[in-house]
Amino acid sequence: MIPVFLAQLAKDRRNPLILIIFIAASIGGTILFTGGTETPTTISIFSEEENDQAIEDKWESLLNEGSDMRFVVTDSAEARENVQQGQSDVAVKLLEEDYKLITTSNLPTVDYVDQHVRTVFEKEALIQSAVEQSNDIEGLRTEIETTLNHPPLDMEVTSITGEELSSYDMGTQLMFAFTLLVAMFIIGFRVNNILKDKVYGLWDRLILSPVSKTGMYTAYIAYACFIGFVQMLTVILIFKYVLNYDIGERLDLLLIILAFFTFSMVSIATLLTGLVKKPEQFYALYPSVMPIIPLISGVYMMPGTITNPVLTFIGDLFPVSHAMDAIINVVMYDAAWQDITQPLILMVLIGVVAMGIGINLVERRTT
Amino acid sequence: MIETIQLSKRFKEKTVVEGVDLYLDKGESVGLLGPNGAGKSTTISIISSLLKPTTGDVKLDGESVIKNPGDIRKVLGVVPQEIALYQELTAYENLKFFGRIYRVPKSQLESRIQTTLELVGLKDRQKDLIKTFSGGMKRRINIASALLHHPKILILDEPTVGIDPQSRNYILEMIRKLNEQEGTTVLYTSHYMEEVEQLCDRVYIMDHGKVIASGSQSELLSILSNEDTMKVQLNQMSNELVKAILEIDVVRHVEETGDSIKIIAKKSSNIISNLVKLADQQNIKIMNFQMENPSLEDVFLHLTGRTLRD
Repeated sequence: MIPVFLAQLAKDRRNPLILIIFIAASIGGTILFTGGTETPTTISIFSEEENDQAIEDKWESLLNEGSDMRFVVTDSAEARENVQQGQSDVAVKLLEEDYKLITTSNLPTVDYVDQHVRTVFEKEALIQSAVEQSNDIEGLRTEIETTLNHPPLDMEVTSITGEELSSYDMGTQLMFAFTLLVAMFIIGFRVNNILKDKVYGLWDRLILSPVSKTGMYTAYIAYACFIGFVQMLTVILIFKYVLNYDIGERLDLLLIILAFFTFSMVSIATLLTGLVKKPEQFYALYPSVMPIIPLISGVYMMPGTITNPVLTFIGDLFPVSHAMDAIINVVMYDAAWQDITQPLILMVLIGVVAMGIGINLVERRTT
Repeated sequence: MIETIQLSKRFKEKTVVEGVDLYLDKGESVGLLGPNGAGKSTTISIISSLLKPTTGDVKLDGESVIKNPGDIRKVLGVVPQEIALYQELTAYENLKFFGRIYRVPKSQLESRIQTTLELVGLKDRQKDLIKTFSGGMKRRINIASALLHHPKILILDEPTVGIDPQSRNYILEMIRKLNEQEGTTVLYTSHYMEEVEQLCDRVYIMDHGKVIASGSQSELLSILSNEDTMKVQLNQMSNELVKAILEIDVVRHVEETGDSIKIIAKKSSNIISNLVKLADQQNIKIMNFQMENPSLEDVFLHLTGRTLRD
């Protein structure tokens, strides 16, 4: 078993470019897609109503209140052009009591901006409907504002451990999402070595050697696990210590989650290996299927965005949704070991079932 | 040493190997000759325990290999038809890998690698990547990988496919040395009859999954003892003449080869006088006439009506 493992390692050591490209893709992808949410963003706002000046003044102050984004009144033509040319992801067109987002993309930034703007408009609409019933408009508004600031019932949101809840960090979520996605690819391509070695006759040579079948599978699977885990670990350490991303205090728990995810993902790749006859077929199938899985699992979106039961069911069949669930709990809500046992168990379950079926199919394809 | 008993293999509805009986004595060099698709590779896959037969058995020193595949694997070296090597690794790294999986003792591994590299004539290229090697060099390392654990039986599945004559001769000479000097039992499959003629003590001829003839070369050639093979060189080739020769009742086969024709006909016949008469009638001159020794190719032709490369 060990010589087979070492031979796989020697191949990658001789040609490390692919591994380096995958690590760079993880980091590059995260930086590219999360740049908008990691740093304060300037969002252009404008109005094209008759009383545009008043509308812009009113909403500019309300939108900027308590936000980590900066809403700046801009000329409408300039704001539209910036969006069209890709210089900004989104601009907000203000109406009297409503708004429209001007955007050309589906980036997470857009959802993030929309979420904030909607909250501000809904709150203002509530206040507006209340003051319309009153004669003392200014007095009532002041009273509402005071009550909102000092409500009779004070609801405190805390984390599972009772500590203060940190704000939801979409950038960190995307960092893990891209890391898992890229790891899924490298794991799949390494599991595909089983098929490649079968086609080139190396597998038969191994069968005729004293290495047992169990030893052969263990070596290939262990190597795929190893390389996938090393890739994820490298990316996460770079984000934590070089790019200063906040990934929480429990690196130990994160590594356990990643280890479970790796095993589970290797099993899924083995299952897909069993469905095809040639490595080329795997290269066609795997990259077509894998990018869809994180999308269905909703790992690029705010939790709870995907509500369709069919999609969530499909997503739950793959380990990435469970891994992401556990990671978010650990990184953002300081979850402890016992809080993440369920996703871990689900990943093991997926891994065991997929591995069992996968190896069975791989064996049937050749005998 | 090894014998197969009524070996058959069926894949779904297709019978690939049918009722094959063969044996190899210790130190023998045995050829398995047949055209592509004759069932040679399937037969050796069953003998080497990679495939299970549908019916029949393979015995090594009287013990069933099907029941105990581990017994034969210990003494077997198999050279597959494919280049079963890690292309991204060097020749040395590949041999080290195969030495380790065959559990060659650490203390002996290095010396065995060097000896084997010397045997295949690639000691000076050991640090080069396999992917930079020529076809012939890859084939030689392919063979070397099967020799590190000093197998008693060496099975080679068409090890010279697609290589230049020089590398081919090198490989054949290497196998001959292993057989004669090291006493390695060799089972060699090929569809090149010259290779089998050069290397093997005994030959099994396979076609459509069956052994259609077997024996030493002289025994097989004696099948043709009632026939003459002759080569006739003409001043010009004529299809009419070929057709006319074929109509002579003693003629079994006529084949055009350049400006000559090869004729196989029953012995003691008046073929020569008939031939001269036919050529005269068509104003064709016979430039040269030569009686040829029959080859295994002719034996195959006699048995099947086809050439090995058909």
